[in-house]
Amino acid sequence: MPTISGSWAILLANFLIPIAVLVFSSGFFPYKPLLPGIATFQEPRNGIAPPKVFDRLIFMVVDALRSDFVYSNNSGFEFTQSLIRSGGALPFTAHASSPTVTMPRLKAITTGSVPSFLDVILNIAESDTSSTLAHQDTWLAQIKAKGDQLIMYGDDTWLKLFPNVFTRSEGTTSFFVSDFTEVDNNVTRHVPGELTQSDWSAFIMHYLGLDHIGHKSGPRSPHMIKKQEEMDSIVFQVYSALEQEAHLESTLFVLCGDHGMNDAGNHGGSSVGETSAALLFISPKFQAKGVGNESPIEALDDLQYYTTVDQTDITPTLAGLLGLPIPLNSLGIFIPQLLDLWETESQKVHFLLQNSQQLLKIVKEAFPNYDFEPSLLPAASCTPEPSGGIEGVQCAWFHVLEYLRGNDEALTSSEPGPELEAHLLLFLGRAQELMSNAASNYNVMRLYLGICISIIAVWLSSPATYSLSSKTRYAGTFLLFNILGYSGIMFASSYVEEEQQFWYWMVTGWVFYLHARCSGHLYGNCPQMSNSNTGHRSGASLYYIFGAVGLAIANRMLRRWNQTGQKFAAEPDISQGFFPFHQDILWALVCLTYVATYLHFHFHGPISLTWRVSSFLVTTTAFLFKIMFVSADSPELLDKSFLRSIANRAGGMPLVSLARVTFAGILMLIVFSIYKKRQGVPLARKVPGKVFHEALTLLLMTESRVTNIPLFLIFKFQANILAAMDTTAIELTISSLLFQYMTFFAFGGSNSISSVDLSNAYNGIGSYSVVFVGILTYMSNWAGPIWWVSASHILRSKSNTEGSHVHFTIQTFHMAAVTTSVMAACTALRTHLFIWTVFSPKYLYTVAWAVLNHLGVNTLSEVGILLMNRK
Amino acid sequence: MSSPTSPTSQQPPPAPKSPPPASILSTPLAKTYATIHPFLLLTLLAIRFNALVSSPVDTLLRDLLPLAALQLAYVVICLPPAGTIDPGTTAESTTTTPTPTDEKEKEKKSSSSSAGGIVLRPGKRGYRRKAHGASSGARGAIMAKVAASLLSLALTTLLATPVLAVCLVLFGAPLTTHHLETVLCAAHMALLAATGLVYVYGVDGAAWKEVWGVLRPADAVWGAALGTCVGAWFGAVPIPLDWDRPWQAYPITILIGAYIGYFVGSFVGRSSCVFGKRIVIDANEGENKDE
Repeated sequence: MPTISGSWAILLANFLIPIAVLVFSSGFFPYKPLLPGIATFQEPRNGIAPPKVFDRLIFMVVDALRSDFVYSNNSGFEFTQSLIRSGGALPFTAHASSPTVTMPRLKAITTGSVPSFLDVILNIAESDTSSTLAHQDTWLAQIKAKGDQLIMYGDDTWLKLFPNVFTRSEGTTSFFVSDFTEVDNNVTRHVPGELTQSDWSAFIMHYLGLDHIGHKSGPRSPHMIKKQEEMDSIVFQVYSALEQEAHLESTLFVLCGDHGMNDAGNHGGSSVGETSAALLFISPKFQAKGVGNESPIEALDDLQYYTTVDQTDITPTLAGLLGLPIPLNSLGIFIPQLLDLWETESQKVHFLLQNSQQLLKIVKEAFPNYDFEPSLLPAASCTPEPSGGIEGVQCAWFHVLEYLRGNDEALTSSEPGPELEAHLLLFLGRAQELMSNAASNYNVMRLYLGICISIIAVWLSSPATYSLSSKTRYAGTFLLFNILGYSGIMFASSYVEEEQQFWYWMVTGWVFYLHARCSGHLYGNCPQMSNSNTGHRSGASLYYIFGAVGLAIANRMLRRWNQTGQKFAAEPDISQGFFPFHQDILWALVCLTYVATYLHFHFHGPISLTWRVSSFLVTTTAFLFKIMFVSADSPELLDKSFLRSIANRAGGMPLVSLARVTFAGILMLIVFSIYKKRQGVPLARKVPGKVFHEALTLLLMTESRVTNIPLFLIFKFQANILAAMDTTAIELTISSLLFQYMTFFAFGGSNSISSVDLSNAYNGIGSYSVVFVGILTYMSNWAGPIWWVSASHILRSKSNTEGSHVHFTIQTFHMAAVTTSVMAACTALRTHLFIWTVFSPKYLYTVAWAVLNHLGVNTLSEVGILLMNRK
Repeated sequence: MSSPTSPTSQQPPPAPKSPPPASILSTPLAKTYATIHPFLLLTLLAIRFNALVSSPVDTLLRDLLPLAALQLAYVVICLPPAGTIDPGTTAESTTTTPTPTDEKEKEKKSSSSSAGGIVLRPGKRGYRRKAHGASSGARGAIMAKVAASLLSLALTTLLATPVLAVCLVLFGAPLTTHHLETVLCAAHMALLAATGLVYVYGVDGAAWKEVWGVLRPADAVWGAALGTCVGAWFGAVPIPLDWDRPWQAYPITILIGAYIGYFVGSFVGRSSCVFGKRIVIDANEGENKDE
């Protein structure tokens, strides 16, 4: 039995893991100072200040409008292309930095700032009005502050980001991804009416249909060109109005995508397809300048059509053209091609100077130790000229100041000349690069401190782990090989992206081990085993010989269930490529899973009629909820199946209350079974914790996508095999560990932020609550791991508390080692190109694994079991 | 599970009547060629690498016959054919019900006996008598070699290839596409792994049960077979990397892993430090000590 000191060491290691995570996070996610308030013009506007060019703005966002959708020769935007040729539209490629999902992109477009990585963590919180841009400086806030009115039709993300900003609005939700037409018609039907109104200054449209087509069937879908033509007709409609309506005479029309899409039609990452969005400034005024561009252009592989600008540049450009102060936190640069809209050179330079001073303020805020005062102006210190970094920004600013001092009157009197313009643009470019690249301000001391703390956790848990694993040579070696291999792959970006491959691969190796071990027993290597429970053995010998084959077949199915990762994500799989076309099979399997769960309730619960009736009712309610949920969420999975009529008949049942009834029913079942047990009603079969396990299964099924529900059947099959294999405590722990990780990926999880599944995060939640949504998000994404933690309790319940100790020790050691290696990888590769797109998301997932899955589920359940046993 | 490079014996081999590990024949030719052969295979793989990358199916198909010829040459030259290493060369041992006797003694006896009766299937007396009749001449030995090599060729193609193809799929090979690649990869692996096994063990049920249970004592044949499979498993490692090299395509890395595994396994298996030892996983060690 374990010594007391060993247990304390493990316990201490578990306290150290979250501390290490906290310390490391505080150093890893740099704090970005946000300037509060709303920008105002510093000095009274005089003659030199550039006048506004436009009074009104029509801002049309087409979700996932990749640059080539508009510019290439395979595009439906024929009218728009004719505008590009005639000079009425100025085309750009806007670089959308990762994460390329709508919410952070809208933040970038409206505030001009680069959303910090922490914004992504708070993505769930952002889905609600609790985190908005209401208190941040945006061009919308500037228009509102001027007393003008804004209207918005389209994606309701805008309404969440800007509550009480719009005079008239209608939000469409991106919940029903299967809807290509209705979601856009709901925007388009407002357009003609609003174009005749003159009370607004900004009219925002956000079309979602194109993005939906991408998610459903990719950029080469037959629907795509049709949708592009539809969008083109809106451009035509608006442009005609600009030409004809008197009140729209001075209106700027911006057409842009918030992000692009990859070849699979998804987005969220940082591939060139996802980051290259189209951006067009359209107005009849431009046509007068007569700068046409060639269009359409041959399709380009790198998608960089015309000039590439940053998405944040939209903010100062709009501010300049509409005569607004530049929002305080903007990192954008006024797009130089549009400077020509101002008549005089001094106006142009004046605006660039304004832009520079605004950006300088942010730089000063972030680097308080650097001096930008003209008193310290030894420009000589800039030799040799640094090309980037804070020194480069400092030098570029000194050049500007030097020029200004030399030509004091330059701004007010004559033409300042293009030299100052060049100096300003150099400064702006460097400052933008510096500030957008958040990598510059890690707190390296804290990173090392975090690593040290987690190394201590590894050290604390290693003696106990060593003594356990040295007893079973091969299993121990396998565990060590697994941990070392996993630590190694954390340093390779492609393995982080394709982590599922590692676990699938490891599990095949482990199944081979189990096979070798079982046949070793079968052929008489361990006579004492066959004596121990002979009755059990004779029935289970089939499981013994072919159990490993069964496990392997089941694993092979899990592997194909959901394709995940990056490289192979678009390959066909069961849940996306098979079930939509074989809905009867899907629903038959789902029904079977619910029936199996009920049967477990029936045969493992207390022998009582009330119990059986109530467990039947709860299971039925859960099933009904799933049907209703699917018919609302993804009707395309239901409308060709035999359950269609049920869904139609029961249509209109409120989902929220149905989910609540399901949750309450599941809770009631647990309470009820405990109550009956206290009363002394015998269980049908004596497997302690089985009722709880089944109730948990039902809960996890409720929280899973419908295509993933049959996975629980496979899990049960695998658990039966493992039970028959008479695994030792350490083997069971390794199996549990491997299956936890593997099933996370089998459910469709990956190390990319875009794979977080929120579709079940709002079940039964009426009003927003971070805690509940967080718990449900965790449960729906970690359903597989949670199930296997619970299953390993059931599997081991026949053995002694030794199992609990083994499980706890090895899980702790594994978690500490993994956390250490991920932290080390993030520290060593902190200047790597993929740090924000691959390694940081991995770190976040590791935090979730460590804090939620390890401490919250693995550890708490062990502690719970220990306490129960003590009673 | 662990790599086959470190099998250790915990207990004396307990399985009844299973044939002992096979040694390389003691003729100078056999000894020399047994050393050359794995190198030869690796060299050929290196030569064919470019062709393999550019058109895997064609190359695999074309190389199948030469590989089969090479493997047959190897087993015929270097290995004792099935039956010649039967544990008990005496008539009593041909009874189907085995009597567990001193295994170690048996092993010693059999590993020293390099020639004997042809027993493709233990218990078939007919073969044995015939063989005894001709035992004085070299004809019997040639007959044994011919019969064993024909059998090994047939079983490798008909049985081992499908079984290995199924294993490949279970271990993650594509199920709905790349059928030709999978079958050809399995055929190559079967030639590497199974030719020797069938040639040496024939259709001896006890030996094959041990193969299925990963319990064979280490020798050149079993080492090569296990090495091929474990090598193929490790061959999957580079596939997910984002290097975008053409050789990362399935099944090239698997096959290369299998060849390297074969190379390593056949040398390790016959090396004196592991020869005859078994991988025995005694999962109950830990618990036993506690009790």
